[in-house]
Amino acid sequence: MTSSRSSGLAYVSLFAALVAVFGLIPKIDLPLGVPITLQTLGVMLAGCMLGPKRALQALLLFLAAVAVGLPLLSGGRGGLGVFVAPSSGYLIGFPIGALATGLLMAFLPANTPRRAAISALVASAVGGVLAIHVCGVIGLVTLAKLSWTQAFWGTLVFVPGDLIKCVLCAAVVHSVARGLPDWRFGGRSFQ
Amino acid sequence: MGSFYSDHRTWLHAVSASLKLILLAVFGTTLYVFNSTWVLLACAALCLLLFVSLGRATLPARKLLFLVLVTGLLITAFHAYLQQPLLGVVSALRLLSASLLGIALMLTTRSNDLLDVLESLLSPLNRFGVKSSALALQVALMLRFTEHFFIQWKRLDDAHRVRTGKPGGFKLLAPLTIRMLTSAQRVADALELRLPP
Repeated sequence: MTSSRSSGLAYVSLFAALVAVFGLIPKIDLPLGVPITLQTLGVMLAGCMLGPKRALQALLLFLAAVAVGLPLLSGGRGGLGVFVAPSSGYLIGFPIGALATGLLMAFLPANTPRRAAISALVASAVGGVLAIHVCGVIGLVTLAKLSWTQAFWGTLVFVPGDLIKCVLCAAVVHSVARGLPDWRFGGRSFQ
Repeated sequence: MGSFYSDHRTWLHAVSASLKLILLAVFGTTLYVFNSTWVLLACAALCLLLFVSLGRATLPARKLLFLVLVTGLLITAFHAYLQQPLLGVVSALRLLSASLLGIALMLTTRSNDLLDVLESLLSPLNRFGVKSSALALQVALMLRFTEHFFIQWKRLDDAHRVRTGKPGGFKLLAPLTIRMLTSAQRVADALELRLPP
């Protein structure tokens, strides 16, 4: 029987890697011309699959690796400088978003694949979109010296892409619920 | 990640990983202290000079640098659209300088050396119950999983192309996640046997 510690080490590293991989995949351009990266999808998946504690650990691990200088952010960025860049609010929002997604997923029903998918959709919309964008707007106002209105409209153009990611996250959760019926979403299997 | 390191020896290879990280941290922070376009332009020129001095070792990173330049131009254009062109130039210069330094570090420093520095930096946390060795192990596992993701993705994509003649795209995300979760469970089983109690 694998202990909670070893499975924690493995899953935390796995989801930190997933967020890193999504940063290495080229950006997608929406028909509007708005570029989106997939890293927030990694945040959503970490929250839904691992639950609040381990999702938070995974994203903190990812940020620690970025801080060391590994070029894991979209566009190959890394190092301490990215934490004081205009977009650093979004970056700091990653662990907060993962925590919020995990907390919601832990409370919402996930006893059937369909319910798990609906719960993942709600949890990722709140944690992966709302929480991250709130942090992002605060970052834009404090670091890029934009007004609250400018920051709000600036962040709003990314929301359609993020909502597509919520749907993708729900689809993945649905497939995992069918493919791995023993998996308990939101960290329930790790209690 | 390993492919980013250049075996073509340069003067920067001889500098220790810890010193390079300290300089990167100090210089990276300095970039955000100054707002003057001329100071930042001088910083960017200095970073470019350092990057060019690495010669052929920069070859694997030139595509990445092109992407950074495009991003810088987009940032400038976005700020120009918001009637703040100077702020856009400042942000783009900061991005360019920080990226050049980060890329130079990755080209001339092995991941293992960076992890050793990370472990020694985190060692004071041992007193507060945080195991720096476990954290360094997690970073190493993360890098290994990153590479494994690409291998698994390629396998699934090849299989999908053989069946349908088209690339898999997002359809592969769910099977990839299931495969990776199974792999992580196997890694957890292996760790259970190897880690001290």
